[in-house]
Amino acid sequence: MIMSYFPVQKYKILIAASIFVTSMLASANGLLVHGALASETKPIVTPPKQSDQTTIPPSGYVPVLPDPHYGMLRVKVLDGRTLKPLPDAEIVLLETEKRYRTDKLGLTPWIKAPVLRSARFRFLVNELHGQLTLISYKNGYRDSIHMGVRMNDGSPTKTTIWQYKIDPTADTRVEPVLYQEPYHRLWLIKLADRFRRPSQLGEGYEHP
Amino acid sequence: MRLILTRTGAALAISTLTCFLPIQPASAQTYIIGSTGFPSTIRVAIRQNNAFGEPDPRGPIIYVSTINFDQYCQDVLPNEWYPTWPIASLEAGAIAVKMFGWYHHLHPVTVGGFTFDVDNTVNFQLFRAQSDQDQTNQAYQNTRNLAYVMPDKTIFELNYRAGYENNPNWQYRNAQKMSQWGSQYWAALGRTPLQILEFYYVNRMLVTIPGVGKG
Repeated sequence: MIMSYFPVQKYKILIAASIFVTSMLASANGLLVHGALASETKPIVTPPKQSDQTTIPPSGYVPVLPDPHYGMLRVKVLDGRTLKPLPDAEIVLLETEKRYRTDKLGLTPWIKAPVLRSARFRFLVNELHGQLTLISYKNGYRDSIHMGVRMNDGSPTKTTIWQYKIDPTADTRVEPVLYQEPYHRLWLIKLADRFRRPSQLGEGYEHP
Repeated sequence: MRLILTRTGAALAISTLTCFLPIQPASAQTYIIGSTGFPSTIRVAIRQNNAFGEPDPRGPIIYVSTINFDQYCQDVLPNEWYPTWPIASLEAGAIAVKMFGWYHHLHPVTVGGFTFDVDNTVNFQLFRAQSDQDQTNQAYQNTRNLAYVMPDKTIFELNYRAGYENNPNWQYRNAQKMSQWGSQYWAALGRTPLQILEFYYVNRMLVTIPGVGKG
């Protein structure tokens, strides 16, 4: 009886000790990732596998420059006053310097366009969408610059550009028209919340 | 003196009578699904832009534009919800956007001489013409024939706020408002649009709108 009891206890102790050591190692590894123990022990750095490079980290931020993500973009060009489609307008996507023409319906073909999220806010609040710049040209119309086109990662995006016909009698000074597409309001709220003090009420728990 | 006595006597008689009658408080007109037609258009007040080219919620109204109701909802949804969110979140949002617009279509306001249903800013819902996206359009069309109403089928204002990311946002449930980030949270966990709506708007129900089909 006693002989059979001790080996079981021994195994239990061994198992408990191994679980403890494993959990300690895991937690230390977690701290190493965040840099808390980086100065105390040297982490083992293994080169990432090819498949790991496209894994989205928990923060949701994907660095775009080494491995840009793409989405599909289609541009519609309208006459700003009549709201009718403008065929044969030329669209330039500045980030790729490629040019596209609109068809009879004022539409470009679907364009494979990069999702470029500004690195300015990388460590503060990750942008929800990328931003692109387009310029539309058509003879007889003011050039139209369209900034901040929201590019959604992995899903199609549509945007509209308005161009305004030049009136020789009224338009004495013809210059490009700028349209700055705003950030999404959900991201703006997130950005403001990032620096909000507990005493500064916004859309907080106190006033949903 | 005689007049005062008469008035007092009448008041007494009425108060005695009302003691035995059920109390029916005066209320604004209510609109019931089934007896209220689905809106075909909505009047959107366009406010003056601020210096950055964005409509200013406190800016003067420039004009009122009459817009197709379906198009209005489709041009609001991608500006209020994020188009890459799960479809269940977008569908819950599509129902909220539609019911909010419908409620205000039934309760127009007059400001500065302009009569309108909604404006194009966050005073109501953020509307940008021609900003519809395929994913949000799909969510709207999937739920076009559905309404989320009071138990007696009264149309009410489905309100919502941004809320916090990665959080169910219980505080919004208590306030009877949907949290947009909360809808994304629940949709990522596999909840249906109805389950999301039921979480935030307690004691309401989903009904089919008679005579209105999916898109």
